[in-house]
Amino acid sequence: MAPPAQAHRSPSPSQPSGKGEVSDLKSQLRQLAGSRAPGIDDSKRELFKKVISYMTIGIDVSAVFGEMVMCSATSDIVLKKMCYLYVGNYAKVNPDLALLTINFLQRDCKDEDPMIRGLALRSLCSLRVANLVEYLVGPLGLGLKDNNSYVRTVAVIGVLKLYHISAPTCIDADFPPTLKHLMLNDPDPQVVANCLSALQEIWSLEASTSEEASREREALISKPVIYYLLNRIKEFSEWAQCLVLELVAKYVPLDSNEIFDIMNLLEDRLQHANGAVVLSTIKVFLHLTLSMTDVHQQVYERIKAPLLTLVSSGSPEQSYAVLSHLHILVMRAPFIFASDYKHFYCQYNEPSYVKKLKLEMLTAVANESNTYEIVTELCEYAANVDIPIARESIRAVGKIALQQYDVNAIVDRLLQFLEMEKDYVTAEALVLVKDLLRKYPQWSHDCIAVVGSISSQNVQEPKAKAALIWMLGEYSQDMQDAPYILESLTENWEEEPSAEVRLHLLTAVMKCFFKRPPETQKVLGAALAAGLADFHQDVHDRALFYYRLLQYNVSVAERVVNPPKQAVSVFADTQSSEIKDRIFDEFNSLSVVYQKPSYMFTDKDYRGPFEFSDELGNLSIAAESADNVVPAQGVEANDKDLLLSTSEKEEIRGATFNVSGYSAPLYDSSAASVQSELAIISSTSAGSAPSSSLAIDDLLGLGLSAAPAPEPASVPPSLKLNSKAILDPGTFQQKWRQLPISLSQEFSLSPEGVAALTTPQALLWHMQGHSIHCIASGGHSPNFKFFFFAQKAEESSNFLVECIINTSSAKAQVKIKADDQSTSQAFSDVFQSALSKFSV
Amino acid sequence: MLQCIFLLADNGAVILEKQLTGHRVDRSICDWFWDHVISQGDSFKSMPVIASPTHYIFQIVRAGITFLACTQVEMPPLMGIEFLCRVADILSDYLGELNEDLIKDNFVIVYELLDEMIDNGFPLTTEPNILREMIAPPNIVSKMLSVVTGNSSNVSDILPGATASCVPWRPTDVKYANNEVYVDLVEEMDAIINSTKQFSLLHARFRDGVLVKCEIYGEVQVNCLLSGLPDLTLSFANPSILHDVRFHPCVRFRPWESHQILSFVPPDGQFKLMSYRVKKLKSTPIYVKPQLTSDAGTCRISVMVGIRNDPGKTIDSIILQFQLPPCILSADLTSNHGTVNVLSNKICTWSIGRIPKDKAPSLSGTMVLETGLETLRVFPTFQVEFRIMGVALSGLQIDKLDLQNVPNRLYKGFRAVTRAGEYEVRS
Repeated sequence: MAPPAQAHRSPSPSQPSGKGEVSDLKSQLRQLAGSRAPGIDDSKRELFKKVISYMTIGIDVSAVFGEMVMCSATSDIVLKKMCYLYVGNYAKVNPDLALLTINFLQRDCKDEDPMIRGLALRSLCSLRVANLVEYLVGPLGLGLKDNNSYVRTVAVIGVLKLYHISAPTCIDADFPPTLKHLMLNDPDPQVVANCLSALQEIWSLEASTSEEASREREALISKPVIYYLLNRIKEFSEWAQCLVLELVAKYVPLDSNEIFDIMNLLEDRLQHANGAVVLSTIKVFLHLTLSMTDVHQQVYERIKAPLLTLVSSGSPEQSYAVLSHLHILVMRAPFIFASDYKHFYCQYNEPSYVKKLKLEMLTAVANESNTYEIVTELCEYAANVDIPIARESIRAVGKIALQQYDVNAIVDRLLQFLEMEKDYVTAEALVLVKDLLRKYPQWSHDCIAVVGSISSQNVQEPKAKAALIWMLGEYSQDMQDAPYILESLTENWEEEPSAEVRLHLLTAVMKCFFKRPPETQKVLGAALAAGLADFHQDVHDRALFYYRLLQYNVSVAERVVNPPKQAVSVFADTQSSEIKDRIFDEFNSLSVVYQKPSYMFTDKDYRGPFEFSDELGNLSIAAESADNVVPAQGVEANDKDLLLSTSEKEEIRGATFNVSGYSAPLYDSSAASVQSELAIISSTSAGSAPSSSLAIDDLLGLGLSAAPAPEPASVPPSLKLNSKAILDPGTFQQKWRQLPISLSQEFSLSPEGVAALTTPQALLWHMQGHSIHCIASGGHSPNFKFFFFAQKAEESSNFLVECIINTSSAKAQVKIKADDQSTSQAFSDVFQSALSKFSV
Repeated sequence: MLQCIFLLADNGAVILEKQLTGHRVDRSICDWFWDHVISQGDSFKSMPVIASPTHYIFQIVRAGITFLACTQVEMPPLMGIEFLCRVADILSDYLGELNEDLIKDNFVIVYELLDEMIDNGFPLTTEPNILREMIAPPNIVSKMLSVVTGNSSNVSDILPGATASCVPWRPTDVKYANNEVYVDLVEEMDAIINSTKQFSLLHARFRDGVLVKCEIYGEVQVNCLLSGLPDLTLSFANPSILHDVRFHPCVRFRPWESHQILSFVPPDGQFKLMSYRVKKLKSTPIYVKPQLTSDAGTCRISVMVGIRNDPGKTIDSIILQFQLPPCILSADLTSNHGTVNVLSNKICTWSIGRIPKDKAPSLSGTMVLETGLETLRVFPTFQVEFRIMGVALSGLQIDKLDLQNVPNRLYKGFRAVTRAGEYEVRS
């Protein structure tokens, strides 16, 4: 093909120029539109190409819309394609003009050539102009019945597009049942796959408003459908296989035979060339075997090799995505990968984000047998040109040391680092030596000898300096010149920029004073004076505190500042195990790459496989989101639907989610910042939740004071509930999954209560008055479902309640789970009495 | 579900945008992305999956072109990345290579391809054979044809038969005058070799390194030019050495499971039949022995290269590359064989080519350290490249290739090659 004339080589897309060219094009197109001269298609094609090029580089060529449509009466398929492309791009902003194109697109939908039929139908559905939907129904209906599979494939996706433009039109035309029929009967696998993805979306979105749709959605993960799809799995394209496998991962088999059948059937998918298929298969395997510990282990063994192959083949981008998943598995079951530690050795050329993951995995898999080699390898990196990685690897050595394998050799290595005379190596090593000493005080002699030889002038980083000062204070009796080093540091008080270091210096001088008073007294005075004059509030306060403490009684001061210490046995983990579980549940999703569960980074509007909430206005997407979030078990998925739907309704939680939503872009920051973000999130929820409950109380005019004590009458003295109990949905789900049901009962509702229960909210407010808080609710008359929680007043022991109320039979099915099983009967009484008081 | 695909030039400008759903993604996301990339420093080392304030971005870089896809919903990350890789592969296959001008010259083809590859954000057909039947590549032949016949459409007007066939990867009516099939074993050796560190200068002599890790990643590549619907069976003499394997979808699983035989109906033309890994190799074909001794602000470097285990075929294209540590001010390096180049960014390349019979190639020289630095504390890593034609170093051997449903006269060819993959020697 000849290149189109390129007057626009200058790459700036925002240039305002092009006005002249556009009007030029317009007149040329006009000339060609009516012409029937031979060879006219070729000149049209050149012009169209020009238009497309302009469009692509960002020049607005919507002005020639009319002319383009006029020119589109042609039999040339390339011209048609270009025209479809153009129309698809501008129809949305020119709905009136789009009407012009309907005619020729509809005609093309009846063309003899299936390719043209398909293309026209696709373009027709891609116009996405709301007032044109009436023209879509006919062609789509025909398309679904077309005898060519290509056209059917396009039509199925067309139905989905129609649904997103106008859901009622799509439902009224009865398209979903047609799709279901196609899905279960069409010979073409691509049609089946498209039906599946379309139906998943449509029914999930409908499920919030229609009982039937939610039943249909459940039916998708029923045994017949799953088996039907699994039996055809080899016919599907690789992408369709991913889709089917995602669905299978949600399926809950009845017994272990079924599990083994599915796994046997899918085993060869682990050797598929497409990494996405392999990962989806792995997800299915992991989810199926969650409850079978032995088999779960075997699955790990089985998937190890394919994962490692995926990492070593393919592009760096692919191997990174696989590596992130491997990372989560290694972190969960490090011992299984212990013999494969060499796969996590860093190669020189790898980008540092890959190296970082590998270092974490190396740290995790270290055990008695491989520690020596891993530490040797890590020491190689310490001399690496890449400084952040060098730092990470020293930290990794330290972490391994803290895991207690072969500490002896490692301490030697660490001390060697101190002799390397690289400032950042020294800094990192100092921090580690400090941590080591906190855990293994018995090493103090060897370490102190080396640390003592480090000149404090060579240590600049605050963390390292603080560590050094801590050691000087802690071991001042063993370090000959500790008081004098501290003295010189105190003399430079003014030059020390870090408040952390100054705080440590104060404490160290104090400790030193208790151990070697005569040598330190002078320094102590200077340090306290400097501290009192410090502009930093904390430093000032601590200096003042020490001063007064000494004034009061020196021996008391010693007991406060320098008590005998217990060796630390375990350092706190940066990520809670709960979050790790959440991420694991979301295997094969972005969560794994970000190392955060999706609720922490996805905007709540966008969870679930579709978005467009702004276009569709009142849609509640929450119902679907749960499916994607934790497809652990069918029943639970239901529960979670509810969970998330209330959390959406409640403004407060929305706010919390937003906070977390913003945290995603900060991903590349260190684990520490993750932690701090977590802190922010929890503090906001902690801060806002009680105030909201108060607000609600006030709204109801219950006359409760700012700190409402639970009504004494309603609560038996045996069990007091915390009126301001806080539990975030994630924890609730976690607990709900973990705890056994301690009580399952059926209560009757008073007729007044039934009358009052027109919306779920009514009961929520009532129960809140009894210190039983709702975390999620849903349903319509006559069936309501609630999840409540309550906390004991004096301790943080939780009660979780699932309550299903049927107003027509005036019965409430209640399931109670409790942290403390012994009190669940007492709580059940409280719950029942609260429920029985519910009325208008 | 992807919402939009952008192609960016190496200066960050948008070459092409393809909206996939009704939810239009604004181009400004590309500006955000490019700022992000620049803030990361090295533009080709930023993460493949990024969260922007509004979208999640998948990106891969091929030949200076950034392929960018955006989504706002949770989806399997590998699906996004794999798909972009396929797009890149297909485009470079269609256009011959990838560059900005080629894409701009062939906008229409690129749009047509994307149209068939993904619909409403979900990948459809990425099988090159099917695509090639739907959209003709813009090659010289079809250009000639259009001049001669006057039919200038680059789209076949019939739908590809393969879409409906039970072997979707193979066109139905393939015909060749000469029937040929070539099987290539292409292997890459990944190795890490540590030198035994010498802290004492007294023992300054060459030492052999320690093989920390040595692994082969291999592919069986087949170029199949056969008429009709052939059925092939390929077996290895020693399949037990394979540690893990991945197959093209055409390979039947059961025969492999029971007898380690590859049975398949091949796609037409060049394809990757299988990839495999062979673990824990015991030795490498060549040795690289670096030695660095530093004293009083200067560092003596000497590197020797030679054959350790003669693979029986010539080892050629040997290149040694290493980054001089940043603390080195200047370097004066010479070699007794091949050429040495030091670039301004302190990357040193020593092209050796073949190892001569009469002498062992060696590189030696002195480097001046930064003032104030007595001894070198950061040591370079040597990345080694080589190529050995005719040998698969893993030891994998093809036993035989049987064909059914094929014409009697045909040619079978077998080749093997081993290259260095990530082969590094630490000093």
